[in-house]
Amino acid sequence: MDSKDFEAKIQPLLVAGRGAEVEAMVTPLLANGGGPAPLWAALAQALRVQGRIADAAKIQEMLVEALPGHVSTRFDLAESLLLMGEFERGWREYSYRYSLNHTYRIERKVQRPRWDGRPIPGKVLLIHDEQGYGDTFQFMRMVSWAKARSGAQVVLEVNHETHSLASRMRGFDALTLRGELPPHFDVHCEMMSLPMVMGLKMSDLPGSIPYLTPDPDRVQHWRKRLAGVKGLKVAVVWAGRPTHFNDANRSMTLTALAPLAQEGVTFLSIQKGPSEGDVARPPPGMNIIGLSPEIRDFEDTAAILTVADLLISVDSSPVHLAGALARPAWVMLPFLPDWRWLMNREDTPWYPSVRLFRQPSWGNWQGLVQGMAKALADIRAAGPAGNRP
Amino acid sequence: MNTTPPQQQISMEQALAQAHAHWNAGQADQAERLCQHVLAIWPGQADASHLMGLMAHAYGNLPVAIDHLKRACQAPRVPATYLSNLAEMCRQAGRLAEAEAAGRRAIAIDHGLVAGWNNLGIILQEAGKFDESLTCLEQVVTLKPDYAEAQNNLANTLKRLGRLAEARHHYEAALRLVPTYAEALSNLSNLATDMGQADKALTYARQAIDINPRLADAYINAAAAEQSRGNDVETLRWVDKLLSFQPQHIGGLLVRTVPLRHLDRLDEALEAARRAVTLAPDNGEAHVAMGEALQALGRTDDALAAYERAAKLPGLALEKAMVNRGICLMEIGETAAARAAFEQVLALFPRSISAWFNLSDIMTFQPGDPAIAAMEALLAPDTVQARNDRIALHFALAKAWLDSGNDERAFLHFDEGNRQKRATFAYQADAVGRWTQSIANAFPASVFADPDIGVGEADDDLPVFVVGMPRSGTTLVEQVLASHGQVQGGGELATLNHIVDRIGPYPAIVEQLTAAGFAAIGRQYIDHVRTLSNSKRRFVDKMPSNFLYAGLIARSMPQARIIHVRRNAADTCFSCYTKLFTREQLFSYDLMELGRFYRDYESLMAHWRSVLPPDRFIDVDYEDLVGDFEPQARRLIAFLGLSWDPACTDFHKTKRIIRTASLNQAREPLFTRSIGRAGRYTPYLGPLLAALGIDQVPQAAEKPAKAAKRAPRPAKERAR
Repeated sequence: MDSKDFEAKIQPLLVAGRGAEVEAMVTPLLANGGGPAPLWAALAQALRVQGRIADAAKIQEMLVEALPGHVSTRFDLAESLLLMGEFERGWREYSYRYSLNHTYRIERKVQRPRWDGRPIPGKVLLIHDEQGYGDTFQFMRMVSWAKARSGAQVVLEVNHETHSLASRMRGFDALTLRGELPPHFDVHCEMMSLPMVMGLKMSDLPGSIPYLTPDPDRVQHWRKRLAGVKGLKVAVVWAGRPTHFNDANRSMTLTALAPLAQEGVTFLSIQKGPSEGDVARPPPGMNIIGLSPEIRDFEDTAAILTVADLLISVDSSPVHLAGALARPAWVMLPFLPDWRWLMNREDTPWYPSVRLFRQPSWGNWQGLVQGMAKALADIRAAGPAGNRP
Repeated sequence: MNTTPPQQQISMEQALAQAHAHWNAGQADQAERLCQHVLAIWPGQADASHLMGLMAHAYGNLPVAIDHLKRACQAPRVPATYLSNLAEMCRQAGRLAEAEAAGRRAIAIDHGLVAGWNNLGIILQEAGKFDESLTCLEQVVTLKPDYAEAQNNLANTLKRLGRLAEARHHYEAALRLVPTYAEALSNLSNLATDMGQADKALTYARQAIDINPRLADAYINAAAAEQSRGNDVETLRWVDKLLSFQPQHIGGLLVRTVPLRHLDRLDEALEAARRAVTLAPDNGEAHVAMGEALQALGRTDDALAAYERAAKLPGLALEKAMVNRGICLMEIGETAAARAAFEQVLALFPRSISAWFNLSDIMTFQPGDPAIAAMEALLAPDTVQARNDRIALHFALAKAWLDSGNDERAFLHFDEGNRQKRATFAYQADAVGRWTQSIANAFPASVFADPDIGVGEADDDLPVFVVGMPRSGTTLVEQVLASHGQVQGGGELATLNHIVDRIGPYPAIVEQLTAAGFAAIGRQYIDHVRTLSNSKRRFVDKMPSNFLYAGLIARSMPQARIIHVRRNAADTCFSCYTKLFTREQLFSYDLMELGRFYRDYESLMAHWRSVLPPDRFIDVDYEDLVGDFEPQARRLIAFLGLSWDPACTDFHKTKRIIRTASLNQAREPLFTRSIGRAGRYTPYLGPLLAALGIDQVPQAAEKPAKAAKRAPRPAKERAR
């Protein structure tokens, strides 16, 4: 079988989480320790989808050693290392995210040097955000750290959607919007390169929480709007941005949340995007209010999270917003989650107010939701308006 | 909040200033829109065109970038920076003449433009104008000592000029300024290789790759480090790492041809060189690599044409092209033309070590020859610094002093050249001794007891193996055989060695080989040489080291004939010691190790002689062949099952390619001056003679042929 046919055969298996089968197919072909790099990469992926991250990382390290210039292998290794909490090398390999064939053109080719982490008093440092809103919310905490470390004047550049939340944050000297005429600056740094440049360690987390605050007027508005809602108010998000590369793995349906429906709990749908209309057909017994059409921007989301007792969400930007606001949130994670959630733990060093629920096996939302329904019943029994995660 | 005002309301100056600010921040879309706005009003406007060019360059579109910059540079009062940027982009595109013109215009307009001097300095360096390049880059470093790139570029030029110590100083200066400067580390790696420090070189290259895994040169330099210690397999591995992400990298394709040639994968070598030539038809080094592949394939005329093509192209390939042309002429026996070719090289490149080295092999030096003084001068400190060049120079000088009768000076150079060469690799005489003994053990007499000891197919007469020590006369024997109308000479083939290597560790695998396994080895070998045999009945492979495989040959090719060429031990070893081999003969660079290897070889041959049938294996003594030619030659031809051909007597007239260290001797009629030759040098050969167990070597007698016949063999053969 040539490599293309082989690829066509194993890819669907890997996507379906059938890593053990792929492992059984590939292992005999690699028995003598040799074999082509793509086969080894397939084996690493087969181990990853089984949750055997450390085993996979060993193979990926070997591949990086053998083919150092293959940046996609380096990026794969970065994901495994970060998932294991090995920050130092992980952040370094993560810096190849813009050297991939499909990302090279989207790298912002800033014509000033990147900050190297050393003090630069008197200089101007431009810190700019990247693609995902969640990433921005998560790594905004490092802006003030970068200012303290560099001694520079810090100009923070963010996208329109996160601009007004950012404007209330501390730790920078000026704020600018992506695409607009930027002020003068001497050095720059992408927000997600700050961990590498500053050598972020697990023990630095979470830093000062909350680092984002809601707009008091909006909170006022939503407090009024939700005054009549009875019982525990649980904001809910069941799908991420459909264009995300891993969306099939992380998104679910409202119907799948049926077991969460219980007396004394009112769900507030803050779902945005194509599936926000699902709220019109809730699972039987679920008490749910659709707020989505009333949400104009992240300021509304932040205010709702402040008023609600809890957020239940798939791995999407509202989770990070809740975490940054120090509001309780429960995250529903796929069996092989994004690197930032690490493996095998219910809490996260990034956000003390966030609790993690993981699929017990590949694609098994049902098991996850059942566990979560019990946890929800427990806090409902403990009384309303608890701030415990 | 500042937002961009509608474009029609802003002036051209404002639009350009904003475009620059956007591009500074990496906002290409906005910058491009503003530039287009300017260009719509004023087509070809210089500043907007320049900025468009810079952006195209950043996104990797070099031809478009150059177009924009050329337009920008048409402006009557073009800023020097634009010309300097155009120069650099033309250099990157390999358009050196345009690059140089633009670079010179830039500094003519603004004499203080640091980047302009820097860019012109690199262009001149690539064009081989090192002295001018040096002037430019020294200027830059003076104007701006903390400019790391300039320090690195200056070092590159110094390195090209052979001023390695100064080059290192400037690389290190660059790295003090920017410790993560991957290019400087990579260049330092190459410098270490030149200085004979392969381990250091690999460390630097690895560091460079660690910082920037896409830095192609670092892979090339790692490959060069491995190549410098003769490690072909590791060399290929590094190049393949590079080609895995840049399959069309010219330098990578070219570096790849060297180990492929060494591994006898000549078609692949030619294919890689061809691809490079197709991709970069104006690259002289690509034509040189193609010439080398063609030369290895025996296609001399094509090789010469490739070298001539290379010599006409701009760049750095000229010296190598000219030297290779000389070697090619030497190989086909055009000695006078070869000599003229090397002298031509030296007229242009007086420090060309490879020209001196080859020239010294074909000429006979007289006392007081000015060439000797010229070579000695090159050994002075601050002249030739590259380790391999210095080694070659010592061997060339030793030959020259020996020719001219000054043995003492000759041996000073032999000893120094050998010592420096020996320091470049690891070798364990004990392990080699155990290994040759294990080969004998793997083929006990019982293996050959069966009357049908070979298991291959006997329908093909082809293979003849001429084996022995290097420098023992194998080239002469091949030349004699190949003069026969039904014999094709094949030179030294690594084919059998590669076939065995692919199967497993030798001789450990012998035990596991079945009759069919041996037959398969024979078939692979015969299939390969049949393509080279020119439809002759017999084909001669004179790789001397095939003596290690004599038993395996007998087992796998029943029709094969093995001719063992013997020569006086002291003469053989002395001759080895005076040669700088192109392929590794690791035993040859220390007199004691050389003697020990000879003893190991000798006892393995004694074993083959006692176990192989006389119709498969014979000995011929070099001294007999030289002293009493025709009977010996007839004996060899008869051994191959052929009838006598008088052409064999005039073997030195046979026109064919010879490509060994002995090539200039096989062209001469028989000479006896090399019999008993070592005797003259006894005082210098102590450790060798001790290892060989010889107390005294007789001097060459007045009637050398006869005396040679009696030349003593080492006292006793070790009984095993």
